[in-house]
Amino acid sequence: MEPIIQIKDVTKEFKVLNRREGIKGSLKDLFSRDYKIVRAVDHVTMDVMQGEIVGYLGPNGAGKSTTIKMMTGVLEPTSGEIRAAGIVPYKNRTKNSQKIGVVFGQRTQLWWALPLIESFKLLKDIYQISDEKYRSMLDLYQSLVDIEPLLHKPVRQMSLGQRTLSDILAAFLHDPNIVYLDEPTIGLDVSMKSKIRLLIHALNEQNNTTVILTTHDMGDVDALCRRIVIIDHGKMLYDNDIENLKGLFGSYRTLKIRTDGDMNKKAEGIGAEFPDLSVKVSEDDEWISILVDEGKIKVMEVLHQLEEKEVIRDMQLDEISTEDVIKKIYEGGEA
Amino acid sequence: MERKTIGFYLKIYLKLIAQDIKSKMSYRADFIISTIGMVCTNIAGFISFWILFQNFPSVNGWTYYEMLFLYGFSLIAITPVQCLFDNNWSLRINVFSGDFIKYCFRPINIFFYYQSEIFDVKGLGQLAFGIGTLAYAWYKLALPVTALMVIKTIVFLITASLIMMAMQNAAAASCFWIENSFYLLDLAFRFKDYAKYPVTIFGPVFRFIFTFLLPIAFIAYYPSLVILRPDEVPVLSWLSPVIGIVFFYISYRIWMYGASRYSGTGS
Repeated sequence: MEPIIQIKDVTKEFKVLNRREGIKGSLKDLFSRDYKIVRAVDHVTMDVMQGEIVGYLGPNGAGKSTTIKMMTGVLEPTSGEIRAAGIVPYKNRTKNSQKIGVVFGQRTQLWWALPLIESFKLLKDIYQISDEKYRSMLDLYQSLVDIEPLLHKPVRQMSLGQRTLSDILAAFLHDPNIVYLDEPTIGLDVSMKSKIRLLIHALNEQNNTTVILTTHDMGDVDALCRRIVIIDHGKMLYDNDIENLKGLFGSYRTLKIRTDGDMNKKAEGIGAEFPDLSVKVSEDDEWISILVDEGKIKVMEVLHQLEEKEVIRDMQLDEISTEDVIKKIYEGGEA
Repeated sequence: MERKTIGFYLKIYLKLIAQDIKSKMSYRADFIISTIGMVCTNIAGFISFWILFQNFPSVNGWTYYEMLFLYGFSLIAITPVQCLFDNNWSLRINVFSGDFIKYCFRPINIFFYYQSEIFDVKGLGQLAFGIGTLAYAWYKLALPVTALMVIKTIVFLITASLIMMAMQNAAAASCFWIENSFYLLDLAFRFKDYAKYPVTIFGPVFRFIFTFLLPIAFIAYYPSLVILRPDEVPVLSWLSPVIGIVFFYISYRIWMYGASRYSGTGS
């Protein structure tokens, strides 16, 4: 099967004026020709298959938005090739728009003053959705979320969560091949987040829609993405299954123990005993946490050795979270 | 997918306008106050015009009723730009804040989509005022009411509107290149005030500027000549419909070019 999105060796460079400080500097800048080239995306290559949900991650300023803008056709790559649903996006923005849906968290694309149902009707005309398809989409929405109270409410009166939900529904309405979600759960409460994750998951499953998801919330990633792509400083650092990710730094687990006495002193002692392991005292001074690489030493063994010397009051065992791994990759990428 | 026809756009536009008016009505106080404000602005404009003519019987050979004709003509001519292209005023804010990006993802013409979002109902009051003034001047000047005259008036009104729109589009589009385009837009809009006077009252330098650089003389003066003084019409007057279309098209291309190089802000 042909991939729905093909990105081949794409680079995007921006010309940025070297700004000077102060009022004098600003005046000089008016006439300055002193530009530097910033490479926001640096030789990125990836293929995405129809129906995949890909988590596109990276720290702020890593080049995620720039990549998304190129995929959606707002920006033209400096070099390299992009094809999405058989179209070169920046060459044919209008045609590409018909095949994609876009949601930017906190920036609604709906008509501010209109009730949601009126926005839907306008979208139906704009995207030339047939009556039959429109009806079946609304039925599907009805079965997934309780949209009845949203339909007749003007967008400006909605809460951020309701608005995001509405934006997502609007993005899927014309049954696009690809939906780009840029931080869809930003600023939402826990229950709304999980509602939105369920919705995205269901829509992806029902319509086999490809979803490209950028987020800083690892909860989104764990709930939705089987595959993740990590980018930093414009370069691709990782592109693989989320399971592989956790094995990337060996199989880590965190052992947390609580003992009597001064935690900091005890932690130092443990650190001296196991020089290979990272030993920290938690911020609330309640736990000593020991990051154990199970490839080198088993957690049970560490625990056993500790027990011989210390009175362990309580213990916890944490699997390494996606968040920790991503953090490690970001930090590694910077070095 | 087939090419989208004018019928397609018209249908969508009418629906959008209907929705926009509906939503404007929902802010009732706002609607009433702005309508009253518009009426007052027009009356004040007319009073200052009237006072001027209490003191001078004519301006550079133009009589009171001829001037009134010009005045009414320019009022009607700026109505379309006010009603249909009002969103141009928010363009720089949308571009600056990055919100403009949302217009980039619809499978319809971006210029159309952007402008269609707002329809300014207030302009309609001005239209009524302009028509009244024009009709009154027409009657007082004892101009004949023939089909040809009416067609001429309508054609030249459309021309004048096109030029007004062109100036505003181009001025608004400047925000794609410079950060604060408000002054340019305001300037373009203020120039319409000069359109109310016969261009011959200005010195040769301004006459040249208003004819060739900022074509406001085409908004009311040249078109009015065709109707008021058919025997002293310069060739330029007959050219104005063509010039109107050309200017509008150029401004549209500038606007579209600006939109195409728009890249949004980081998120």
